[in-house]
Amino acid sequence: MAEQGAADLGNNNNNKPEASEGTIIKVTVKTPKDKEEIAIAEDASVTQFKEEISKRFKAKQDQLVLIFAGKILKDGDSLSQHGIKDGLTVHLVIKTAHKAADGGSTSASSSTSNQGGNSTTSSPAANPAPTTVPTGSGHTPTQTPNIMSESACVLFELKTLFLPKITSLSQRLSHAGGFGDLASLAGLGMGSANFMELQQQMQRQLMSNPEMLSQIMENPLVQNMMSNPDLMRQMIMANPQMQQLMERNPEISHMLNNPELMRQTMELARNPAMMQEMMRNQDRALSNLESIPGGYNALRRMYTDIQEPMFSAAREQFGNNPFSALGGNSDSGAQPSRTENREPLPNPWGPPNSSNPSESGGGTTGSTSTSGTTNPSVSNPLGVNPGSLGNGMFNSPGMQSLLQQISENPQLMQNMLSAPYMRSMMQSLAQNPELASQVMMNNPLFAGNPQLQEQFRSQLPIFLQQMQNPEALSVMTNPRAMQALMQIQQGLQMLQTEAPGLMPSLMTSGIPGVPTGGAVPSENPASSPSSAATNPAQQQLMQQMLQMFAGGGGSGGGNGTSQTPEVRFQTQLDQLNAMGFINREANLQALIATGGDINAAIERLLGSQPS
Amino acid sequence: MAQNNSSFPVQLYVYDLSRGMARELSSLFLGRQVDGIWHTGVVVHGKEFFFGGGGIAHCQPCGTVLGQPNSIVDLGYTEVNEDLFQEYLDSLAESEYRGDKYNLFEHNCNTFSNDVAQFLTGKTIPSYITDLPSEILSSPLGQDLRPLLDSLAINPGGNITGQR
Repeated sequence: MAEQGAADLGNNNNNKPEASEGTIIKVTVKTPKDKEEIAIAEDASVTQFKEEISKRFKAKQDQLVLIFAGKILKDGDSLSQHGIKDGLTVHLVIKTAHKAADGGSTSASSSTSNQGGNSTTSSPAANPAPTTVPTGSGHTPTQTPNIMSESACVLFELKTLFLPKITSLSQRLSHAGGFGDLASLAGLGMGSANFMELQQQMQRQLMSNPEMLSQIMENPLVQNMMSNPDLMRQMIMANPQMQQLMERNPEISHMLNNPELMRQTMELARNPAMMQEMMRNQDRALSNLESIPGGYNALRRMYTDIQEPMFSAAREQFGNNPFSALGGNSDSGAQPSRTENREPLPNPWGPPNSSNPSESGGGTTGSTSTSGTTNPSVSNPLGVNPGSLGNGMFNSPGMQSLLQQISENPQLMQNMLSAPYMRSMMQSLAQNPELASQVMMNNPLFAGNPQLQEQFRSQLPIFLQQMQNPEALSVMTNPRAMQALMQIQQGLQMLQTEAPGLMPSLMTSGIPGVPTGGAVPSENPASSPSSAATNPAQQQLMQQMLQMFAGGGGSGGGNGTSQTPEVRFQTQLDQLNAMGFINREANLQALIATGGDINAAIERLLGSQPS
Repeated sequence: MAQNNSSFPVQLYVYDLSRGMARELSSLFLGRQVDGIWHTGVVVHGKEFFFGGGGIAHCQPCGTVLGQPNSIVDLGYTEVNEDLFQEYLDSLAESEYRGDKYNLFEHNCNTFSNDVAQFLTGKTIPSYITDLPSEILSSPLGQDLRPLLDSLAINPGGNITGQR
């Protein structure tokens, strides 16, 4: 090869005669940035080798440092002395000019701490603090509250409001570094059981164990996420409480839209040591503020206007604040202190359902109670079912039983769907069909069946739309309805096997609610992608189903029944009438939504009355 | 050059990120036994070096939040002194191992440890560590999750669908 010829020539020209003897071997020389194959005589000396290298890499010979098998190759050595043979790799470091003279005593550790962006654990004090951090006194009082309130907001927000988002993603990624716990990744929001409970547990654990917090922060996935300000903003904005807050306090939205600030805060959050230091600074500055005349008031104003709503908004998610049920929802929680409180004080003995603050629209949370979910009560605002709390996700037998629970207990689906979290996720899914399709595709159901994927993808817009429809949601959350649907599916499948020509081929996971809970259909034999044929007929059938959900809401799937809901629910309607529910329309709606379950219908009616 | 013939010991600290859960749950989820989700760092010259989302970093040995390693693998000795190693790391940090190059499956902390180990000692790190991504990805669950995970690993300045 030409290369070899050139190398030979080079050797012959510059070097001692011994170079031309012996076989030529190809040695790979690898730098951090580059890799080259160099042909050299087997018995060449290191000096000769370096000459070749310096030509190829365009560097001076004394800048080259060769390492092989942990040894530094010195000029006087020969290649064979080190055992360098054909096909092996030798490492090369090209010293930068100013270090070429000697070993160089320029500091090693500080350059490491600055390379590539962020070093996570290097000396905190050395890193320059973000410029907006007040470093103590010396700021005018009018300025500091703004700056500090901004950073206070951001910090608290990061820690509280934001934590659920991170934790829900990374709670299974648990500890820092590469993979995280893939086992629980499987439950990443798709098949997980009672989302809220898990989340609450997680948060409780987090709060009690600050180390875990820093672990999560260190996680490169989390860090990657946090280093993208757009994403952060999206996530923060997606939280409905945040939105409320933002309406009330435009400062917050201003702060969110300031990418500089976001970036700095994120860097802060990434570096817990730095964060601590900033908090300390803040505390110091705060205490300084107090001593300034008028400063105390400014502080108070800051607190009540900004921090308090954040706290209560955050705590609502935690479900830890028992007064959140008492105090009504966050709208009434934070009147600015300047105006009188004109809201009537809430009725602490009133029906607990009516003031559940974490409902963010739709009457299906909390107030639909089927057996197995506890009603929200004053001390238990979110209806956390103590029975399933015990199955913490961190016990492995617990994990397994949790899985069992999912597959056996469709009520968990209800819980999952009713988490306000899920709702915002659905919304963002609906808005971002790309993401939604990705998410759907990952469901193990679709794994082996690309045609099914195609099919589903085309249905996606319809699907998403009717997911928003509260009627459809209520159908999905009603375990009986789900069971009925599954029976229909099974029936259809049997039909298909019995009389294949009759029915167009079966829809398997065409039922909308099912794909989001990957575990639920695991008990349903029809869910295995058995029907691979993608007829247009199949698609039509699917579309019909979907439309029926969108339009009819719970009046039955399949090919529809011939009876109107009125007729079907006649007895129930009569009963409701007798009980004193006069509004026939409302009764009917409720009955339709609950599929004829009187008790559930009553709950619905009661829940919607005080509106 | 100073310290021509000195030898510095090189070790590989191996941590299990799942703290034992992988050993228990992996056969359940993946269909095959995975003993741990391994994170590694290379310890030399009295410091532990590792690669994460923030780029190459170093700390005191056992100084990460992971605490004590699950196991320590002895990689041998190197003649590379601290300054030379630092230069090497600097070059890496500008090229292959910038922070945004982190990829959970293909270019992660273990990739880094492997490269550094080879540079320092000529030896690679144990294969059960480097084989982990392919083991997980070749399981049905891993395949399903892959697009999702890819979309999660968002680069700074990247977008949510994970284009890279």
